[in-house]
Amino acid sequence: MNLTPVLRAEALKVLTLRSLCGTLAALFAVTTAFSALAGASGASDPDFDPLFTSLSGVMPGQIAAIAFGAVVVSSEYQGNGIRLSLAAVPQRGRWFAAKLVVVAVPALAVGLVTALAALLAARAGLGAAADALTVGEQVRGVVGCGIYLMLIALFAAGLTTLFRSGVATLSTLVPFILVVSFVIGDAAGTVADFLPDKSGQIVLYRTREGALGPWTGLAVTALWAAGALLAGFWRLRRRDA
Amino acid sequence: MTSIDVQNLTKEYGTRRAVDDLTFTVRPGGVTGFLGPNGAGKSTTVRLVLGLDRPTSGTATVGGRAYTALHEPLRHVGALLDADAAHGSRTARDHLRVLAVSNRVPARRVDEVMEETGIASVAHRRVKTYSLGMRQRLGIAAALLGDPGVVILDEPSNGLDPEGIIWVRELLRRLAAEGRTVLVSSHLMNETASFADHLVVLGRGRLLADTPMREFIDARVRPRVRVRTPDPTALKAALARHGHDAVEHEDGYWTVHHARVDDVGRIVSGAGVPVLELAADQGTLEQAYLDLTATETEFTTHPKEARP
Repeated sequence: MNLTPVLRAEALKVLTLRSLCGTLAALFAVTTAFSALAGASGASDPDFDPLFTSLSGVMPGQIAAIAFGAVVVSSEYQGNGIRLSLAAVPQRGRWFAAKLVVVAVPALAVGLVTALAALLAARAGLGAAADALTVGEQVRGVVGCGIYLMLIALFAAGLTTLFRSGVATLSTLVPFILVVSFVIGDAAGTVADFLPDKSGQIVLYRTREGALGPWTGLAVTALWAAGALLAGFWRLRRRDA
Repeated sequence: MTSIDVQNLTKEYGTRRAVDDLTFTVRPGGVTGFLGPNGAGKSTTVRLVLGLDRPTSGTATVGGRAYTALHEPLRHVGALLDADAAHGSRTARDHLRVLAVSNRVPARRVDEVMEETGIASVAHRRVKTYSLGMRQRLGIAAALLGDPGVVILDEPSNGLDPEGIIWVRELLRRLAAEGRTVLVSSHLMNETASFADHLVVLGRGRLLADTPMREFIDARVRPRVRVRTPDPTALKAALARHGHDAVEHEDGYWTVHHARVDDVGRIVSGAGVPVLELAADQGTLEQAYLDLTATETEFTTHPKEARP
């Protein structure tokens, strides 16, 4: 069966909701602004990592990526809209696959552009302090950052399908990323590296000690996202709509 | 022919049976009224037909196939489930465009159904600014979008103004006249009587009746005749000679129970009783329905007395 009409419909759903376009704009604006700020405040820290400083705007900015992934799914659960959607596309696997594409593609595209803009904005402030960065490291940082934002949006989309509620997802993930992960991340050693956000953020550092490298770290985040999506899909398949 | 076939359909939520061994067929070319009190299982049945809920046992098919096996289902079956199915932040037109694209329905249909349901002038307004009646019209527009042979509407008159209710009635009659299969659930008797040809009646998830509407009423409501006369004594005497009894109504009418208007007319004219008005009191769907549910209540409240 053809996936194209379903994909077109799901893409149109994203484009016709202002709040979704708004979260993507916020992802770009917040990340770039905070990176520019970090770049301007300089490199006095002894642990200074020029790549992470340049991309540090992602730390607040990822909240917008989470909101995007959550709202793409949660907008279906507003006022039983899910019933109409599944009446139009009764093959739930097909419907869910299309949903994931319209979460992943915009998040990746905006994520890549955002990461590049953040890097450039921060380097403008850092000046010579960032000169040690190689082209390869910067490409890895930007591409990795885009993939990270995509994975975290998919993670949120999976959790929202599981909870059937965007509020539940946001009130779980946002405190987790802002508080739990922040506190544990600094305190503990290797275990914290395997948290869904911490593992993927390794790619944002020029050098970082630990069990995971930049790409294996992203792979761990991908596993978290896949787990959330599978759990969500399991509920979507089994449950009455 | 595309009919809706429900076979031994059962749906349990935990220990509660929302739909209990239901079997009926909805045929094309007529409007089938789907009646029952709130909570009788009408909406659950509709969701089972649309493959949204999974039956505990039994099957529901449309044109011989399970709904979930239909390719581009909106072209075959159009359904109105809830008035609040459209996202409030989308415009009505965008809401319909999304549905049209997903089932490769031509884009011109979006404007056609908005015109047909009378919301074309507010097509570019966000759905959250709509009144309940306008949302209901949008829901009906969505059901008609794919020009489907089967139309299922759950309480379509909800929130509509009197003009809208008349419009829905005419729409349903027209859809049936075009040869479509039309199933309309409602808990409003008089409204259902105005458009239905056939009735499927549910009570506590079970099938209580599946008959043409006229038969349903005639079988349950005994004929009555209404008479108005300035000489009640002569009327009563004339009727009594033929074994009939007249009961005075508080508005000054006399009601003759278990009698046909032809007989009463002959009796009173033969006896020279002055008559100001003589009319057959047609049984209403409401009376027939209440009669059915009354016997049903008796049955369900004393089930153990029937078998020792």
